[in-house]
Amino acid sequence: MKILVIVRQTPDTEAKIQANSDGNGIKTDDIKWILNPFDEYAVEEAVQIKEKTGAEVVILTVGADRSVDALRQALAMGGDSGVHIKDESFADMDPYALGKVIGSKIKALGDIDLIFAGKKWIDEESSQVPIQVAEEIGIPQATLASKVEVDDASKTVKVTSVIEGGEEVRELKFPALITVEQGINEPRYASLPGIMKAKKKPCEEVGPDGINGDEIGISGEALGAAGSRISVNSIEIPTISRSLKVLDGRAEAVQASADLAKLLREEAKII
Amino acid sequence: MSEIWVLVDKAQDVVRNVTYEGLAAALKLKEKNGATVCAIYVGDNAGAIEADLGKYGAEKFYKVENPALSDFNPSLYATALSEVIKKHNPDIVIGGNTLKNQDYLPRVASRTSAGLSLDSIDVDINSSSALEIKKYKYSGKSIATIAFHDVKPMIATVRLNAFKPIEGSGSPEVIAESVELPADENYKVVETKIIPKERPELTEADKIVSGGRGMANGENFQIVYDLADSIGAGAGASRAAVDSGWVPYEMQVGQTGKVVSPNLYVAVGISGSVQHYAGMGSSKVIVAINKDPDAPIFQKCDYGICGDLFDILPALTDEIKKLG
Ligand SMILES: Cc1cc2nc3c(=O)[nH]c(=O)nc-3n(C[C@H](O)[C@H](O)[C@H](O)COP(=O)(O)OP(=O)(O)OC[C@H]3O[C@@H](n4cnc5c(N)ncnc54)[C@H](O)[C@@H]3O)c2cc1C
Ligand SMILES: Nc1ncnc2c1ncn2[C@@H]1O[C@H](COP(=O)(O)O)[C@@H](O)[C@H]1O
Repeated sequence: MKILVIVRQTPDTEAKIQANSDGNGIKTDDIKWILNPFDEYAVEEAVQIKEKTGAEVVILTVGADRSVDALRQALAMGGDSGVHIKDESFADMDPYALGKVIGSKIKALGDIDLIFAGKKWIDEESSQVPIQVAEEIGIPQATLASKVEVDDASKTVKVTSVIEGGEEVRELKFPALITVEQGINEPRYASLPGIMKAKKKPCEEVGPDGINGDEIGISGEALGAAGSRISVNSIEIPTISRSLKVLDGRAEAVQASADLAKLLREEAKII
Repeated sequence: MSEIWVLVDKAQDVVRNVTYEGLAAALKLKEKNGATVCAIYVGDNAGAIEADLGKYGAEKFYKVENPALSDFNPSLYATALSEVIKKHNPDIVIGGNTLKNQDYLPRVASRTSAGLSLDSIDVDINSSSALEIKKYKYSGKSIATIAFHDVKPMIATVRLNAFKPIEGSGSPEVIAESVELPADENYKVVETKIIPKERPELTEADKIVSGGRGMANGENFQIVYDLADSIGAGAGASRAAVDSGWVPYEMQVGQTGKVVSPNLYVAVGISGSVQHYAGMGSSKVIVAINKDPDAPIFQKCDYGICGDLFDILPALTDEIKKLG
């Protein structure tokens, strides 16, 4: 069995976000980059299946040179090899274009049984790349998995997914794509030997030439801004302007509570 | 004449509010581009809902009914919607940011070569006559304005509670469309479990009371539920409370939990981390109860009480009940 995990690098959640001089992106100088936290669950799930079935796990990312760190982290967690699609022409792609590029590359790799992805990229919170990838390849998907049971013999996977108001169990034939919900597992920390080993694991680098070929069928127009359908015009950092009326209830809890109830009724008109 | 489509979301036999919120977004766009506002239902049975849709602004109502759509299969839903989009070429398609729409609209975008942006908090038509939306980016730390390129259709979902339904009168012209759906051998629904909820679903709730690490254990959440029930609110939690095993993950609000925007959010024993704020920062009124006067939440709230939550919460519930 062959499993592929798509991962993305993202600014640390603690990072202070400032608009860049063009106003359409963020200043990246002082940002610490991490593996998208949701993707850790995806990698962990794939590695657990590998430990049970001996499957091979390939990690794929699209992103700038620095993204290799996210790739190596996933390899240190147990991935076998990596594919890094990188080049300036891949910068600024929207989910539509990303879906085409990632989907095309996966088709070219061939013989993948399962694809895992995070539920969303915490940066954009778009949660649409994985589904666009599944559509591009023409395979079924189950999103927000809280449980995954693989049956290699019958080439099917049973997925319990979070749905509105409950959960649903779905059975998908290989090849299939699954996005995982937080809490499906406990992602492992990469061990020091794991990190050392990850540096030596094979990693294919794909530039625009690598992906231009007939083999993959992606042309220049499908890349970057040209292949995208939406773009970020501007970014504003909202200032928090709230009224900050804090009552002291340390000595007189009941009085403060009565005052708050009154404010909510009469001033905020909310209860 | 160009059209704006709004996806109809139904729970059992009632049209969900999010549909009317979508229609409100479409009416805002119509003011700029004069397009016809249309509702579109994709599913196994629409029922008699056209009057409700007309009341909230739909001038036309496309009905795509097919028994194969009784279970939700993202691929079949995408086929159905994509076929009618290709036939009628709407300029813009709006849907609520529900899990179902998130699960199949990316496929529709891919099939109809459309741009798609999820979870918009505002919509507009820009000077190039294209759709332009606003949405949170970088975990609620920034708001991005995203412009669609001039490729139709342009598809966007709107955050629940971000638009207020606009009531009017009208009755839409009903157009029934049929689509052929191939059997899908690759995807099968084995079991659907709807777990009855005692309180409103967080993403739709008008009010929410959440507890954090300050609750100290699971049993103590009872006083959070008491306050919630006294005002008809949903009940949420911080990740610290979820990770401690006090309450289930589905109650988690924040960057890696649910993103909510109620009219009232009460944070109890929650410090106000950036990650928690990312999930509730767009709430209209934020109330904090915390014993630490320096807790960051006090810099991000409208009202608050500095004090011990075990004294304040029961008292607050009482006082609210007294107000009637
Ligand atoms: C990648 C990532 C994603 C994350 N995602 C989320 C997320 O989705 N949601 C989320 O919530 N967090 C998330 N976090 C965790 C976040 O950083 C904080 O750790 C978490 O929000 C803290 O929860 P808390 O406020 O309940 O706990 P604490 O920060 O420990 O705060 C507890 C508060 O309770 C107060 N308190 C204690 N006892 C009492 C009392 N008796 N009366 C009144 N007040 C009292 C204390 O003064 C304190 O302010 C994430 C972190 C990371 C790194
Ligand atoms: N550039 C990328 N390269 C590889 N995987 C990606 C990329 N962007 C998104 N993904 C995957 O898609 C998931 C959801 O991302 P998004 O749709 O952007 O919210 C992520 O958690 C990743 O698993």
